[in-house]
Amino acid sequence: MLIAISWRNIWRNKLRSLVVIIAITLGIMAGVFSTAFMKGMMVQRLETAIRSEISNLQVHDSLFRITGELKYFIPKGMALAGSIDTLEHVRGTAPRIIVQAMISSAEAGSGVSVLGIEPEREKKVTDIIDHLEEGQYLEGVRRNPILISRKLADKLNLHLRSRVVLTLQDLDRNLTADAFRVAGIYRTTNTSYDEVHVFVRYDDLLRLTALPDGAVHEIAVRTDDDRFTPAVQQAIRHLAPRLEVLTWEQISPELRYIVAAMDQYMYLFIAIILLALLFGIINTMLMVILERRKEIGMLLAIGMSRLRVFGMILLETVMLTMAGGIVGIVGGILVSKYFEVHYIDLSMFGKGLEQWGYNSLVHTRIDPALVVTVTLMVIFTGIVAALYPAWKAIRYDPAEALRTE
Amino acid sequence: MKSPVIAWRNIWRNKRRTLITAASVFFGVIFAAVMSSMQEGSYSKMIDNVVKFYSGYLQVQQEDYWENKTINNTFVLSDSLSGAIARIPGVTATAPRLESFALASSDELTKGAVVIGIDPEAEHRVTNLERWIIRGRYLHPGDSGILMGDELASYLHVDVGDTLVLLGMGYHGVSAAGKYPVAGIFRYPMPQFNRQFIYLDLKQAQELYWAPHRITSLVVMVRDHYQMPAARQALDTLIHPPLRVMSWDEMQPELVQLIASDRLGGKIFKAILYVIIAFGILGTVIMMFAERRRELAVMIAIGTQKRLLAWILFLEIVFIALLGVITGLAGSVAVNTWFYHHPIRVAGEAAKAFTDMGIEPVYAFSLMPSVFYNQVITVFILVMLVSLYPMIKTACLKVPQALRG
Repeated sequence: MLIAISWRNIWRNKLRSLVVIIAITLGIMAGVFSTAFMKGMMVQRLETAIRSEISNLQVHDSLFRITGELKYFIPKGMALAGSIDTLEHVRGTAPRIIVQAMISSAEAGSGVSVLGIEPEREKKVTDIIDHLEEGQYLEGVRRNPILISRKLADKLNLHLRSRVVLTLQDLDRNLTADAFRVAGIYRTTNTSYDEVHVFVRYDDLLRLTALPDGAVHEIAVRTDDDRFTPAVQQAIRHLAPRLEVLTWEQISPELRYIVAAMDQYMYLFIAIILLALLFGIINTMLMVILERRKEIGMLLAIGMSRLRVFGMILLETVMLTMAGGIVGIVGGILVSKYFEVHYIDLSMFGKGLEQWGYNSLVHTRIDPALVVTVTLMVIFTGIVAALYPAWKAIRYDPAEALRTE
Repeated sequence: MKSPVIAWRNIWRNKRRTLITAASVFFGVIFAAVMSSMQEGSYSKMIDNVVKFYSGYLQVQQEDYWENKTINNTFVLSDSLSGAIARIPGVTATAPRLESFALASSDELTKGAVVIGIDPEAEHRVTNLERWIIRGRYLHPGDSGILMGDELASYLHVDVGDTLVLLGMGYHGVSAAGKYPVAGIFRYPMPQFNRQFIYLDLKQAQELYWAPHRITSLVVMVRDHYQMPAARQALDTLIHPPLRVMSWDEMQPELVQLIASDRLGGKIFKAILYVIIAFGILGTVIMMFAERRRELAVMIAIGTQKRLLAWILFLEIVFIALLGVITGLAGSVAVNTWFYHHPIRVAGEAAKAFTDMGIEPVYAFSLMPSVFYNQVITVFILVMLVSLYPMIKTACLKVPQALRG
C-alpha cells in the first residue's frame, strides 16, 4: 500500500522526478561502464602476464631468482619437467635455460635474457607463437635460430635472417660468443618484456653455456585452469622438495595488487558519483515535502503514524533513486556486454600502454559482484538522502501545516 | 533596485536549497581540483624521473643516433657551439655524454651494462648524480674510477675498491676493453637504472671506445617544462645537419602517450561528475521557477520587462554557482597546498607497483594554475547551459494562466 502511494507520489511532478532519475541513470551507467572497462584492462594485463610471461607456476633452484647466476641450475631438470607433465591438471611444461647475455648486431649492442627453449613444449605453455609478426618460431633457419621482438629488432636495426652475436659467460666463467640468425620477430602487448627477452633452441644454448645435459634454470608450468594452480604447486613440491616452486602471484605480487587496487579505486569512483547525486536527491525531496506540507499535515491529523509518514518519504526517495539506478545499471551492463564482444580501440595510446604491458584493444569485463555492490550502494544512497527530508516531514505540527496555503 | 541586489536577496529566500546546491558545486570543484592536482603531480613526477635522472629536456645528437644507437653515430662538439648553447637564455646546464653498451665483468661474473662517459661536474649539475651515491665517492674530473648501480654491483659481487673489466665494441669496430676500480655505488629511486648503469669519466670512456673527443649526446637542461619550447627554438637555429635536436617527449613517446591516456581518463571522470552536478543545479532551477511562476507573472503584469526578469534569474544561478566555486577553490587550494608540501609516501606492494611503472612511490600533488582555473571554466559553462531553462521559460511565460495558477 505504502509502496503504491510512494510510487504515485513520485510521478506527481514528472519533470522534477525525471531530472533526478536521468542524472542518476547517467551517473550509474557511466560508473558501471568505466568499472567494466578498467576491469577488462586489468584482466587482460593479468592474462598476458600468465599466458605470455610468467605462466601459472615456475620451478627454480632456490638461489636462481635472487642471483640470476648460471650456476644455480636444476641438474636433471629435463627429467623433472617430464614427470611434472604427467601430473593431473598440467597442460604443459616448458623447461628453459636462462642466461644474461649481450646481443650485438653489426653496429649496436644491448643486454638481454636469453631463453633456451624446446619449441614444441614452449608452445603449450606460452603464447609467443601467436604473437609472431614475421618469420617462424625458431624454424626456417638451419643453424642457431633466434627469435627476437619487434622492439629489439628496431633498436638494433635487425631484420629477418639478420646475423646477431650473443656474448655470454659460460659455466666455467669463460666469455664465449656465437652467431645466431633471426628466424622470427614477435611482439606481445608488453614492450618492456619484449625488449629484454630473446629465444633460442635449448640444445644450442646448452652447448654455448657448457651446462651438463638435461640442466635447466626454470620450468614454467601451465595448468588447465588457474584454480588448479595451488594443487599442482603441492604436487610439484612433493616431486622436488628442494626446489623453489612459486605461483605467478608469489612471483609478481604487484600484479594482484594492481587488480585489487583498481577494484577499490573503481568503487571509490562510483561512491563519488553517488555522493554528487546525493545533493540533487536531497534537494528534490526537501522541495517535495515543502510542497506537500499541507497534505502531510492532513495525513498526520487523520491519524497516520509518524513512523509511516517517515516510511513513506523514505520509500519515495529510495524508489526514485532506484528507478534511476536500475536503468543505469542495466544500461551500463548492456554497453559493457557490447564491448565484451567488440573492443574499445585505444591504439592512439598504444605505444604508451604497451610499454607498461596493457593491451590497447580493450574488452570490457562485467563482474557480477560489481552489479550487486552497485545496487546496494544505490539503495544506501537513497536511504541516506531520505533521512533529512523525512525527519523534517515528521516534525511538522499538523495544526500549523494544515493552515498553509 | 539594482538587479544583482534583487537576485542576491532572492537566493536567500530559500536558504537550505541555495546552500545544498552551492554545496554540490563546492564538492564537485574540490573533488575535480584535488584529482587533477594528483594527476598532474604524478605526471610531472614521471617526466622528472626521465628528464632529471637521465635524458634531460633536450639533447643534441648526431642525426642518425636515435634510430641507430651505435658508437659510430657520434660527433665532435666544437667549443664555439658548446659555448653558444650554454648562452641560450633559459638553459641552466649542459652535459656531454658518450654512451654505449658493454659487458661488465668482475672476477667471477659478467653482465651487460650501459656504460656512460660523463663530465662529472657538468653531469652533477644536470642530473644531481652525486646525491644518489650510497657508498664510496663521486667522480672527480679525470678520475680513473667508475660509478655503478647498487643492483648491478650486488649481482657482480663487487663493492667500492674492487676492479671491474669493461668489454665492448669501440669506434669503427675496434674492440674496446679496460680495467677500472669501483669508486662509488649509487642508488636511484628507479630500479631499472640501478640494474644496468655504469658511469665513468668522459675522457676515460673516449679512450675505452677509441673515440677521442667524440660524444653521443649533449644534454641540455632548462629550468622547467615551460622554458623548453623557447630554448628549443634557439637550439634549432644553432644546430644543423649532421646534428639534430631532440626533446624529451620525442625521446619518450611511450610516456607521453601514457600520460595522454591517463589524462583522458581523468577528463571523462570529471565530465561525468560535472554532468551530475549540472543536473543538480538544473533541478534547483526548475523548482525555483515552478515556485515563482505566479510571482513572475505578477511582475510582468505590473510592467517588468521579461528580459530583466531573465537577467535576474540568470544572476541568481550565477551567485549560487559562485558561492560553490569560491568556497570550493579555497578548499582545494588548501588541500592541494598541504599535500604538495607533505606528499604521501607509499609502501609495500603498492610501492612495487609504482616503481614498476617507473615512478617514485609517492603520491605527488601539483599546484599548476590550470588545475584550479579549469574547474572555474567548467562550472561557468555549466551555469550558462543551465540558465537557458529559466530564460526560455520566462520568454514563453503565459501571464494570464500563470496569474491564475
